[in-house]
Amino acid sequence: MSIAASPFSKPYDDSHGGSASRSHARATALAGLMVEFDNPDALHDAAKAVRNAGYTKWDVHTPFPVHGLEKSMGIRPTILPSIILIGGLTGCLTGLFLTHYTNGIELLRNAIVPTNLSGYPYPISGKPTFSTPAYIPVVFELTVLFSALTAVFGMLAMNGLPTFWNPLLRQPRFRAVTNDRFFLVVEARDPKFDANSTATMLRGLGGGEPERVEAPVESAEPPRWLISAGILATCFALIPLVVIAKARNAKMREPRIHIVQDMDNQERYKGQMPNPAFADGRAMRPEVDGTVARGDIRDTRADVHFTEGLVDGDWAANFPAKITINADLLERGQNRFNIYCSACHGLDGRGNGPVNARNMDGRPGWETWVQPTSMHDQSVRDRAHGHIFNTITNGIRTMPPYGASLAIEDRWAIVAYVRALQQSSAASLSDVPENIRKELEAR
Amino acid sequence: MATIPLMEVDNTWDDPRKRAPLVTGNHDYKSVTDLVADVAERPHPPMAWYALFAVSLGLLGFLGFCIGYLLLTGVGVWGVNQPVAWGFAIINFVFWVGIGHAGTLISAILFLFRQNWRTAINRFAEAMTIFAVVCAGMFPGIHIGRVWLAYWLFPIPNQMAMWPQFRSPLLWDVFAVGTYFTVSLLFWYVGLIPDIATFRDRATNKIKQGIYGFFALGWNGSTRHWHRYERAYLILAALSTPLVLSVHSVVSFDFAVSQLPGWHTTILPPYFVAGAIFSGFGMVLTLAIPARELFGLKEIITLRHLDNMNKIILATGTMVGYAYSMEFFIAWYSGVEVERFTFISRAMGPYAAAYWTMFICNAFVPQIFWFKWARTNIPLMFVVSLLVNLGMWFERYVIVVTSLSSDFLMSSWWPYRATWVDYGMLIGSFGLFFTLFLLFCRFLPIVAIAEVKAVMPRPHSLGHGHGHSHGHGAAHRAEAH
Amino acid sequence: MAHAAPAIDISRENRRFDDIAPGLAGRVWTLGVGAFVVALLMALIPTFTGKQTDFSAGASAFFRSYVLAFAYACSLGLGALFFTMIQHLTRAGWSVVVRRFAETIAGQLPLLALLGLPLLIPIILGMEGVYEWSSAAAVKNDASGLLQKKAPYLNATFFIGRMVFYFAVWGWLGSFYLNKSVEQDLTGDHELSVKMGGVAGPGVLLYALTVTFFAVDLLMSLTPHWYSTIFGVYYFAGCMVSTHATLIVMMVLLQRSGRLTNVLTQEHYQDVGKFMFAFTVFWAYIGFSQYMLIWYANLPEETYWYAARQSTPYWLVVSLTLLFGHFVLPFLALISKHAKRSPNFIFLGACWMLLMHFVDMHYVVSPDTHGYQQYLLAKDAGKAAAGAGSYMAHGATALLTDIPMTIGMLAVLASAVIRELGRNSLIPERDPRLSESLAFENI
Repeated sequence: MSIAASPFSKPYDDSHGGSASRSHARATALAGLMVEFDNPDALHDAAKAVRNAGYTKWDVHTPFPVHGLEKSMGIRPTILPSIILIGGLTGCLTGLFLTHYTNGIELLRNAIVPTNLSGYPYPISGKPTFSTPAYIPVVFELTVLFSALTAVFGMLAMNGLPTFWNPLLRQPRFRAVTNDRFFLVVEARDPKFDANSTATMLRGLGGGEPERVEAPVESAEPPRWLISAGILATCFALIPLVVIAKARNAKMREPRIHIVQDMDNQERYKGQMPNPAFADGRAMRPEVDGTVARGDIRDTRADVHFTEGLVDGDWAANFPAKITINADLLERGQNRFNIYCSACHGLDGRGNGPVNARNMDGRPGWETWVQPTSMHDQSVRDRAHGHIFNTITNGIRTMPPYGASLAIEDRWAIVAYVRALQQSSAASLSDVPENIRKELEAR
Repeated sequence: MATIPLMEVDNTWDDPRKRAPLVTGNHDYKSVTDLVADVAERPHPPMAWYALFAVSLGLLGFLGFCIGYLLLTGVGVWGVNQPVAWGFAIINFVFWVGIGHAGTLISAILFLFRQNWRTAINRFAEAMTIFAVVCAGMFPGIHIGRVWLAYWLFPIPNQMAMWPQFRSPLLWDVFAVGTYFTVSLLFWYVGLIPDIATFRDRATNKIKQGIYGFFALGWNGSTRHWHRYERAYLILAALSTPLVLSVHSVVSFDFAVSQLPGWHTTILPPYFVAGAIFSGFGMVLTLAIPARELFGLKEIITLRHLDNMNKIILATGTMVGYAYSMEFFIAWYSGVEVERFTFISRAMGPYAAAYWTMFICNAFVPQIFWFKWARTNIPLMFVVSLLVNLGMWFERYVIVVTSLSSDFLMSSWWPYRATWVDYGMLIGSFGLFFTLFLLFCRFLPIVAIAEVKAVMPRPHSLGHGHGHSHGHGAAHRAEAH
Repeated sequence: MAHAAPAIDISRENRRFDDIAPGLAGRVWTLGVGAFVVALLMALIPTFTGKQTDFSAGASAFFRSYVLAFAYACSLGLGALFFTMIQHLTRAGWSVVVRRFAETIAGQLPLLALLGLPLLIPIILGMEGVYEWSSAAAVKNDASGLLQKKAPYLNATFFIGRMVFYFAVWGWLGSFYLNKSVEQDLTGDHELSVKMGGVAGPGVLLYALTVTFFAVDLLMSLTPHWYSTIFGVYYFAGCMVSTHATLIVMMVLLQRSGRLTNVLTQEHYQDVGKFMFAFTVFWAYIGFSQYMLIWYANLPEETYWYAARQSTPYWLVVSLTLLFGHFVLPFLALISKHAKRSPNFIFLGACWMLLMHFVDMHYVVSPDTHGYQQYLLAKDAGKAAAGAGSYMAHGATALLTDIPMTIGMLAVLASAVIRELGRNSLIPERDPRLSESLAFENI
C-alpha cells in the first residue's frame, strides 16, 4: 500500500477535494485529523492538551491499554459495573424462580397457565418440596452466566461494536495501531474542529505531522446485493417456523414419523396371535401341568360368594354380605369401569369404545374383529351378579381376565356399576323419585 | 522477525531487589507482534505440525467411528454394568473438565493476583480450556444412553409438563459445565479481539482480511473502548474465579452427595478443584514446552514462566496429596467400618496398581520441584507433566471404579473391565482435543500480543522523563530501568 | 499514572508507635493482663454462683468458653502467620507496608501457647463436658463403641503431645519471621528476604498440616463422634477472614492516631479489603460444601452436628446470623470498589467480620451437642420433657461466659501486639520491595 496520497500539500479545509488526488473516483470528505506517536509516554501530555483545548469528539488509539490515559483524557468511569450487577441479580432471581417454581409449584389443576408452563412438584430421596440448598449450584451458575453475558455484550454495545464502517480503518498508516503505533484523532464532527487551527494545535503535541482522515461522502449504505441476500436469508429462516405453525394447526391422519424406535414397537407375539413355534399354534401358553398361576389358588374354605361369586355351586344372584351398596361403591365402580372396561365396552357400555372404533375399519389383519358385547343386551341383563363377576375375573371369549388387575372389591363395584348402567337405559317413570316425577310429567 | 537467535535465557533469579523481565531478548512492540504473528503467517507450518495434525485427525475419525458404533448398538459396547455403572465416560469427563480449569485459572485468578507472567501463556491455556471442555461435554452427552433425548436435560416447556429435576447433581453439571463453556468462550474471545484486529491489519489477502476483520468487530484501539474493555475484562475475571471453583465443586458433588464410602466426604469439592488446577497446569506444560520450541516463542514463554508453572504444580500437587491423606485419616478417625474398608481396599485391593499410580504421579513426583534445578530443567518437567496427566486420569479411575465395584452388598461386587470401545473413546478424545488445538495454533494468535506489550518495558526512544513502566499494575515497575 | 505517585520519604513519617506517645506501648501490657484476669473472674462467676446445677457442669461451661476464646485468639495468630509466609512465598510487593502488623501478631504465637496451658486442666481431669473423650468413664460407657476405636488418637497424652508440636512449629516460625524482619530493619540485608522466602515453602506445607490437625483436635473433637474431612479448611477460612479484618482495624487505628499517614493509602485498604472479601466468599464456599453434602446425604451420624444447631430457636437464629452476617451482608456491602477504598467503611466492615468470627466460633464450640444427643435419646424413650429443659436453654447461657472470656483473651493478645509494635518500626523499613509497596496502585 502506498501512502503517497498524503494530503498535506493542500489546504486542510477543502471539504470535497480529497478525491482528486486519489486513484478512484469516489468523492470523499474530511472526517478528522490524526497524529501518530511512537511512544505511549508522550500521549498523556498530548491528551491533556487536546482536552484543555475544549475538544469533545476525539480519541487516542493504542495497541494496548495505556494506564492512566483515560484519566488524562478525562474519561469518566464507566457505568458498566452497575449494569453487570443488575444482570447478575436478574440471573440470581431467574435461577431462584426457575428451580423453586418448576420443581415445587403446580398450577396445572387450576389451569392458570398452559400445561407446558406449569411447574410440577416431584420430591425425591426425602427432600423437601423447596430444596433450596440443592438449588444453590444452579442459582449460582445462572448468576454468573447472566453477569458474564451482560459484561461482554454490554461492553460491546457501549463501545458501539461491531462497527465495520470506520474511516480510520481505511487509513493505511492507521493499520499500525494494532502493532506499535499510537494515534491521536480529532473528528471533524467536533464543534471546535477547524481544519487549519486544529492541525496547528495537533502539530504542537510532539507527535508526527497531522494527517487527513477521509471518509466517502455517500452514506455508508450496504451494497444492493447484501440487502437482497439479507431478505432472501430472512425468508429462508422463516421456513421452519412456517412448517411448525402448519404442523401445529393441522390434523394428522398418519402416525408421527418414528425415527428412533425406543422399543415402542417390538417384534413380539401378542395375545390370541398364532405362533408356529408351538405344536398347537397358539402364542398364549396354557399353564404347565402341576403349576398354579399367581392368584389362582382357590381356597374352598373361604367366602366363595365373595371371592368367586358362587353360592352353592351356582352364580350368586345377590351381592356378598361384605359389599355394601352405596354411592361410594358406585363411584368406585364407575372409576374402575372407565379405566379398565370402557376402552372396549365404551363409557356407556354399549360396546363401542375407542378400541372397537379403531378395529372396525377393516384394517388388514383385523377383519375378524367382533364388537364387544353391549352391557345393555338382554342376555347380559339376565345374568346373575356372580356370573358377571366371574366374567370380569376370568374373561370370556376374546375378553382377557382382569382378576390380576382388579381387587375383589373393585370387581364387585364394577358389577354394581354395570347394573346401574343397565338400569339407566331401561328406566321407567316409576323409577324416578316422587318430587322430580312431577317436573318431568309437566314437560 | 527477530533476527537474533532464540536463546534460553535464565531469568529465574531470586534477587528481591530486581524483578525479572518477562520478555527476554531485545524486543520492542513490533518485534513481539512479528514473532507471534509469524506463527500464523508463515506459509507452511513446521513438518511436526503436519505430522501431529495427521495423527490427531486419524484419532478424531476413530472417535467418530466409536461414537457411531455406540449409538447404533447401545451402551452395552462399553464395559459398564451394575454396580459399576459409571465407567470410562465419567472418568474421561472429569479428567477433561479438570484440564479445562487451568485456562480460566491463568486468565482469571492470576489476573486478579496481578501475576503478569500469565500474559505469555494465558491465550493458549484459555484455548486449551475450551477444547478440553468440548471433550468433557461430549462424554456425559453420550453417557446418557438415548442421546436423542438429551434435550430433556434443559428446562424447555413441553407438552408432558415435565421439568428437569433440579435436586439432581446431573442438572447442576449441565448448568455448571454449560456456563463454564460459555463464559470461557466469551473470556477467550474478548481477549482475542485486539489480537484478531492485529491479524486483520497485517492480512495480505482479502479473504484473511475479511474473516479476521469480521471477528475483530471493527476494533480500532480507541482509549474509550479500552477503558470499558478493561473494566469488562476485570469483571469477567472476577466472575470466572468463583466459577472455576464452582464447576469442579459441582462435578465433585456428583460423587459426594451420594452415600457411597469413598465418594461421600466433605473435602471433595476443594480437593477436586485443587486436582483440576493441578492437571490443567500439567496439560499447559505438556503443550507449552513443544509449542515454544516449534514456534520460536522462547523469549515470550521464558524459563521463568515454566519455573512459575512448576511451582503451581508443586503447590497443587501437594494439596492433592494433602486431600488423599486427609481422606485416609478421617476414614480411620470416623470409626465407620465401611469407610475404613473402602480406603484400605483402595490401597491394597484389586485396584491397588491404579491407586499407587495415582498417588505416586500426583503426590510424590511433583515434589521434585522443590529443587530449582528441576524447575528449570525442560526435559525433566516435560516428563513430569506427562506423569501428572497420567496420574490425574488414574485419580478419577480410582474414585469411580473402586468405590462402585465394592458395593454395600458383597454379593454384587463385580470387577470392572473396560472394552476396546472405552479405550477407543479415551484415545479418540485426545484426537479431538489436539485437532482443535493444532488448528488454533495455525490460525489464531497463540500469545496475547496486546497484553504482553502492556507488561513490556517502555521503548527508550523519547527521553527518560516518563521513564516508569506502567504495566498492568505495579509489580513490575522496577524492571523498566 | 504517567506521573506515578512520587516515592514517599518515609523518614518524615511517624513510623514508630512511640513517635506519638512515648512509653505507651509498654504500659498497655499491664492493662491487657489486668483485663484478662478480670475476664477470667467474670467468666468464673456463673460457675460458682450461676444457675448451673453443680460445680462440674459450671466448670465445663467455663472451659468450653475458654476453648472458644483460645480458638479465636489462635485464629488471629495463625492467620497472620499464613499471611506473612504467603507474601514471602509469592514475593509480593504490594503488601510490604502492612506485613509488619502480621509479623507482630504471628510473633505472639509463643504467648498463645502459654494461654493454652489452662486447657490441660479439663483434659487431665477428664471433664466429660469439655472433651468427652478425655473421660475414661465416658469412653468406657460409649454405647456406639466409637470412642474406644478412636482412643489411639483421642487420648490425653497424644493430644498434649500434638499441641506441643504444633505450637513449637508455629512459635518458631512466628519468631523467625518477626526477628528476621526486624533484623533487616537494622542491616538492610536483602539476603534475609531470600532466606524468609526460602523458609516459606516448607513452612506453608507444615502449616497446612498442623492447622488442619489443630482444628480437628481443638474444635472437632469437642464432638468426638462426628467427623468431616473439610473441617480444617473451614477453620483456616475463618482464620484468614479475621486476620485480614484485624489488619484493616490496625491500619485504621494507627492512621487515626497519626501514624503512617502517608504510607498506607487507599490502594492498600482496597487490597487488604479484597482479600477479606475473597476469604469471606471462600469461607461461605467451604461452609456450604460441608453443609450441603451432609444435608443431601442425610446420614444420621453426620447430620446430628447440624441438627443440634438448628433444633432450638436460639441456635437457629445463630445459624441464620452466620449465613447472612458472615456472608450475604458483607458480600453485598463489600463488593464495590468504593466500599473497599473508604477507610471508614472498610473499618466498619472489618469490625463486623471480627464480630461474625466470634459468632462462628460460638456456633462451632458452644452448642451442647452431647446434651442434644441425650435429649434425642430421652425423646425416643418417651421422656421428652426430661432432657429438653436444660438443652433448650443452653445457648444463651453460654454467652455469659463466652463473651467476657473472648474479650479478655483478645485484650491480652492485643496488648502483647502493641507492646511488640512499640519496640520496632511499624513497617519493614529496609525491605527491598518497600518502594514497590509505597508506590503501589490498583489497576
